[in-house]
Amino acid sequence: MGIIEKINRNNDIVFWKGEIPVEFLYTAGVAGERFYRELRDSGKIVGSKCSSCRSIYLPPRIYCERCFTETDEFVETETPGEVYTYCIIKYDNEGNRMEREEIYAFVRFPGVTGGLIHRLGEISPEEVNIGMKVEPLFKENRVGHIDDIIYFKPYREK
Amino acid sequence: MKMIKYGGIALKERDFKEGRVIVFRDAPKAKYLWDCGVAISRFLKGLKEGKIIGRRCFRCSRVMVPPRMFCEVCFRGTDEWVELSDTGRVNTYSICYVTWDMIRIKEPQIPAVIEIDGASRGMGILHLISGVKPEEVHIGMKVRAHWKREEERTGSIRDILYFEPI
Repeated sequence: MGIIEKINRNNDIVFWKGEIPVEFLYTAGVAGERFYRELRDSGKIVGSKCSSCRSIYLPPRIYCERCFTETDEFVETETPGEVYTYCIIKYDNEGNRMEREEIYAFVRFPGVTGGLIHRLGEISPEEVNIGMKVEPLFKENRVGHIDDIIYFKPYREK
Repeated sequence: MKMIKYGGIALKERDFKEGRVIVFRDAPKAKYLWDCGVAISRFLKGLKEGKIIGRRCFRCSRVMVPPRMFCEVCFRGTDEWVELSDTGRVNTYSICYVTWDMIRIKEPQIPAVIEIDGASRGMGILHLISGVKPEEVHIGMKVRAHWKREEERTGSIRDILYFEPI
């Protein structure tokens, strides 16, 4: 019976190699659009604020998941932010060892629900610690992309 | 409590071109390797040798092409490899003036399901028809495989370039 027929030699295995062309355009939506515009035009990190429970969401969203109300107010987040957790990256997307390690952190801001995942700079992996204060370093020519923030760097009081 | 219904915001090609909306473009690498399994492996090897291979079930006597190792009618394994002819009849067809990636073409492509001679009724493979005017194609038309030259065959369904009328 055919069901017990097997491929016993490696050379007999046939596989089909292919590539599916996939391209996409992604728009960030009402709140996301506002977030990227503020980032680009005024170098601000904005969250959205619920007028009912006063929660501030980052990245901003158009409704409050606690109250089911519209979050129609956009507010600038206060810096410095705080490293909530971090990770030291040694391999790239393809699994190749990177020449320089990168530090990615989840950065939270005072009074804000959520936060941003971004690179840390001007600091070595040994020096990073949870709870450290960080501030964003913006690019000169911003295009409306999360990379308009070059990285977050340790906060120094002026 | 304020509740607002969002009807959505329609975006037009113009909005993207004129930079009215922030947009992220990307093309993920969607590479794949598909394991052909026992039946299709044999089928593709057959094509490389210039043969169309099917599979017979002894209980229902059906000859299936493309071959499969399991008979879905009898719920049992199939039994025997069968070498089929490279001729057949058009079961159904379509005349396409647009390619799969939405490019308009003058000379139409004619994809068709070809019932292979020697296989059971309704058993066939999807392929292209060529060497005939689109208006002359009809259901039941007898066709023969036009093969690539032997040294060019790779063990692919494209080892048959197209089917042409006999």
